[in-house]
Amino acid sequence: MRRLLLILGNDIRRHLKSPMAVVIFLAIPLFMTGLIGIIFAPGEEDSTLPRIAVVLVDHDQSIASKLLMGMFDADQLKKMFEVTVTDEAEGRRRMTKGRATAMIIVPEKFTVDLLDAKTTTLTVVKNPAEQFLPDVVEEFVNTIAVMLSGAIQAFSEEARGIRAMLDQPVESFPWDKLGPELGKAQKKVVAAQAYLNPLLVGIEAEETKPASAKPKFTRTDLFSIMLPGMAIMFLLFIVQTLMRDIISDREDGKLRRMMTTPLRPMELIGARLVGGWAMGLIVLLVLVAAGTLIFRAYWGNLGSFLILGAAASFWTAAFFGLLHALVRNRNQSGAIGAPIILVFSLFGGSMMNPEAMPKAFKAIGIATPNRWFIDGAKLVREGHFPLVPLAVLVGSGVLLAALAVPALRRKTSV
Amino acid sequence: MRRLQRILHVAWNDLLIMVSDKVFFFWSLVFPMLFIVLFGLVFKSSDSAPAVAELTVVNLDEGRWGAYFLDKIEAPGIDLKIVEAEPAEYNRLIILPPDFSAGIEAKRAQKLAFKKREDASVKAAARVETRLYQAIARMLSELVLFGDGDLTKFLDGHAEFRDIVQVKTRFPENTVTVVPSGFDHSIPGTTIQFIMMMVIIYGGITVMEDRKKGVLARMLFSPLSKGEVFQAKLLGRWGMGLVQALILFIVGKIFFKLDLGSVPLALLVIAVFALAMAALSVFIGSLCRKEDLIIGLAVLLANIFAGLGGCWWPSEIVPRGVRTVAMISPAYWAMDALHKLRFFQGGFGDILPDLGILAALAVVLGVVAARVFKIRD
Repeated sequence: MRRLLLILGNDIRRHLKSPMAVVIFLAIPLFMTGLIGIIFAPGEEDSTLPRIAVVLVDHDQSIASKLLMGMFDADQLKKMFEVTVTDEAEGRRRMTKGRATAMIIVPEKFTVDLLDAKTTTLTVVKNPAEQFLPDVVEEFVNTIAVMLSGAIQAFSEEARGIRAMLDQPVESFPWDKLGPELGKAQKKVVAAQAYLNPLLVGIEAEETKPASAKPKFTRTDLFSIMLPGMAIMFLLFIVQTLMRDIISDREDGKLRRMMTTPLRPMELIGARLVGGWAMGLIVLLVLVAAGTLIFRAYWGNLGSFLILGAAASFWTAAFFGLLHALVRNRNQSGAIGAPIILVFSLFGGSMMNPEAMPKAFKAIGIATPNRWFIDGAKLVREGHFPLVPLAVLVGSGVLLAALAVPALRRKTSV
Repeated sequence: MRRLQRILHVAWNDLLIMVSDKVFFFWSLVFPMLFIVLFGLVFKSSDSAPAVAELTVVNLDEGRWGAYFLDKIEAPGIDLKIVEAEPAEYNRLIILPPDFSAGIEAKRAQKLAFKKREDASVKAAARVETRLYQAIARMLSELVLFGDGDLTKFLDGHAEFRDIVQVKTRFPENTVTVVPSGFDHSIPGTTIQFIMMMVIIYGGITVMEDRKKGVLARMLFSPLSKGEVFQAKLLGRWGMGLVQALILFIVGKIFFKLDLGSVPLALLVIAVFALAMAALSVFIGSLCRKEDLIIGLAVLLANIFAGLGGCWWPSEIVPRGVRTVAMISPAYWAMDALHKLRFFQGGFGDILPDLGILAALAVVLGVVAARVFKIRD
């Protein structure tokens, strides 16, 4: 036992002397979590969308197009849209550069056609490189079109009057005859008020959640969900790096020298497996501490989470113990190890929320430690003890260790 | 001429060694394909493209106006589900109260409760809400047209709403004609990401190992100079990136009908990008002495560049500040050029600024890599 601890201590000291690789592997999950959090986390304000850049091309240059532009100046719409008035060529340039989501083109004679109650068409040119925001602009313009159509139908006579004003020189327009016309318009406005002020039918929108739902999803929630997935992925990378000592000791001739001492092969194997396990736990502790300090992530009952982490670390050490007993050299270990970790992570849900994954991917994910660790972490966060994930990780870990030990014994025989 | 032949010979040999390695096919084909399928399917079926938005309607109205209002809501993109009582499970729900008709006929303002689940699709909710406002606008316009008459007689005959202002949507001229598929987004992004990862990891590790094992030193016994060895190594890693991109594009074309816009220009973008990454791999391979460190750096850099550069998600949803920071990522310029080619059917002139930046980066990294390139530790 003393010799096992001596080897263990020596290994840890050796790795601490050149910790760069471990530090980088620890930094990656924190960086990834931060980046995804910045992009996808719900903000402080209600709006979950960035301001939408819209280009408005005004070929009409008259009352109706100015009215349309004025609509975008309303406070609520200003928060939602950033409108630039320019020509089509510049609009296209902006879309190509990713600086505009859509271009709204107001046709020539838009005002005149509208006042004549003739069908007229607003064109929305959508940025083909964008998937989501152009549809928002399209729906918005559809709503404006309905409102303008309604207004022009309701005040068609008045519209004709304005049309006549536009056609005639100011001096020939019969201003003195406007009185009765304005009187009629006033009656219409008064009648319309009964429907429009306040709106006869309005909408009261509210967000609801099922009875079992959690409180509103926050940035901290996102970090708390993401970090376990990232942690298990980079735990695998780090433990693999340490377990590679099994191969390098053999290749460098250290193993032969070590076996000339009173050290028994089982002590060496034990030291390597316990070393991997302990290092995994240390890595998890560092990630938990950093996640809590930097992202204010919550883990649920820390004791339960660390028990789960210990099981995952044990599984990882046993798995890479077996793998390194089976591979021939360091190159093979590196070549096989990294792909296995990435496949585990892809199917197991470290790279994407498992719930958003296609069914086939989810089914394969059950065979990965990532999935059980992520599921277990979720249970701990929700206040449960992760019994099933723990049983699976420990059970399969023991099986892997049972296979690894005799295989490693063969590997340590010199 | 013979000098060039020698460089090409070494580079070709590096490429052959790499292609004959089974792991190369994992990194360059199997794993990227898994990524492409996963992200392609997720993009295809995600919130970004719901075909029909569902709206559950609890119609308790005791008059005729409820049905009339629902007629106005109906649209090809809206799936109305009429129910008798509020169900426990729904995505979006509107309730027409028992006195809905009575309220309208009495010209009494009323607000309809529209409930949307927090966890349901934001886009579908926005579409339904917009449609509700449009339906209300249509109905109110008809009421204004009807004037201040008796509203109980409105439904027996009234002037119909006309869509005088219509809306036409299209993509910019000479660009795409159909909405690009999820794979059109995921294949270029994954290709760029894996060129970074593969070239830096594989290229960097082999430079380091060749140095540590004395392969580079032995090469100097041939007529190759140190500079030529460097050029050969750079060229070999460049070829690695190109081969990988070709494999992914061919597979994408065969299985996912990938459309790159102009294929020669897309390959030119990849070529310049791969050259920059090849220089980076030689640089890292020359500086690092440990394989794990190279893998760590490669994973870190590839993920930073891919995440910032728009390889994983549409850049439109990224906050403006992050988009500005993203310009430090070589992947940003490569993705920008590929987007211009694919989505805007751009030409050489359109991607020239992107190519210029990538080429400048390749030159800078190449010069730096040449300076730190070592034959022995």
